[in-house]
Amino acid sequence: MSELTNTLALSASGMQAQAARLRHVSENIANTDTPGYHRKMVSFEDVIEAGRRTGEVRTGPVTLDQSTLPRIFDPSHPLADESGHYDGSNVDLVVEIADAREAQRSYEANLRMFDQAKQMQAALIELLRR
Amino acid sequence: MFQNLEVLRQAQAMASHAGARQSFIARNIANADTPGYRPTDIAAFAESYRNAGSDAGLRQTRPTHQMSGDEKSALTAAMTRPVPGAASPNGNGVSIEAEMMKSADVKHQHDMALSIYQNALGILRTSLGRPR
Repeated sequence: MSELTNTLALSASGMQAQAARLRHVSENIANTDTPGYHRKMVSFEDVIEAGRRTGEVRTGPVTLDQSTLPRIFDPSHPLADESGHYDGSNVDLVVEIADAREAQRSYEANLRMFDQAKQMQAALIELLRR
Repeated sequence: MFQNLEVLRQAQAMASHAGARQSFIARNIANADTPGYRPTDIAAFAESYRNAGSDAGLRQTRPTHQMSGDEKSALTAAMTRPVPGAASPNGNGVSIEAEMMKSADVKHQHDMALSIYQNALGILRTSLGRPR
């Protein structure tokens, strides 16, 4: 019983981490056209409690992609310098969409595990009902 | 049958093994995108049940024997094994498809254990002369 409860907590932590990742992806997509925007990247790490790994997962600190920003030529833009260029954002929509798809896939896998652990627990309790 | 309800004990061991294995699978899937994570698994039920008395070291032979939490986790650690397979470029070795296959296995094993338990109880009830 406690193993199954533990399973529910593990799957829930996985879903939470994937949801946080999806949120950063959507922030990046929303800021595709923001001048000077650096793409946000987030990694996953183990949760360590009292010096031991609990097996749960969480999102690590957010880092900014430091690759060079593209120079966009548009003399009419308010941020354009003397040469008529301004800094765009380094968000690549294809990468972001691939990332979102992966997050969705992992989220679904976690959800299925959650559902299955719940079913197993329900079947166990069903034994007591007779 | 009535001196020693081996069937019930075995069904209970099978169901709890399924629960433990499900926990490992959920851990692997939750960490499917954690860099450097290597998936772990526990031995199949047939193997762990056969070895239950021989390599486990500590065994409860009287009901008054109690295992502390540390001993229990040490036993679980002795049973765990890494899952072989290629790692992705970030060092993560989890294959969601393989984990899904294992979880289907676990569900089947758990369902089977519970129905065996239920049927054994039904037989007991019938032998006591009560309606099921």
